[in-house]
Amino acid sequence: MSEWMKKSPLEWEDYVYKEVRVIASEKEYKGWLVTTDPVSANIVLVNFLEDGSLSVTGIMGHSVQTVETVNEGDHRIREKLMHLFTSGDCKGYSL
Amino acid sequence: KTLEVEEGGIQAHPELQEQRARGALRERYLRSLLAMVGQPVSFTLHEGVHVRAQFGATDLDVANFYVSQLQTPIGVQAEALLRCSDIISYSFKL
Repeated sequence: MSEWMKKSPLEWEDYVYKEVRVIASEKEYKGWLVTTDPVSANIVLVNFLEDGSLSVTGIMGHSVQTVETVNEGDHRIREKLMHLFTSGDCKGYSL
Repeated sequence: KTLEVEEGGIQAHPELQEQRARGALRERYLRSLLAMVGQPVSFTLHEGVHVRAQFGATDLDVANFYVSQLQTPIGVQAEALLRCSDIISYSFKL
């Protein structure tokens, strides 16, 4: 089991809304970390594309080797990411 | 005890803090899966294999992805289960 899978929810939460570089199965991924599933340790990264759309990448917890913060982010990016997967009348969860 | 929590006592209880974090992370993960339902998703598997399929559902421990229209080198599979242990990553556009 990888180091990443052994982390606690509070440790995973430290990476939320930060830009990270993830190495998984010798591949590199970069993006804004939205969440880590506490059950599978799967990571969800988001990248803002030039055409205004979003690219969402899930990285399976079992393949994660290292996670490193490259940008601490700010309230603007946090605001964008916070309401990402909430839609219409159910935007009511906050951190 | 309820009062303590209401008064912001949650800060002082590491186990409650942890439970709150766990809940928030899990909820956001489930919502990200919900956003993926019906979307064309590309999967990176071991040995550098890439496949595309439409995401349908997953089980609660995220052990399998149920997909449709799985594009494989030998043709399109109408329905399939992808074992998450075979997957390195998946991505889709919103």
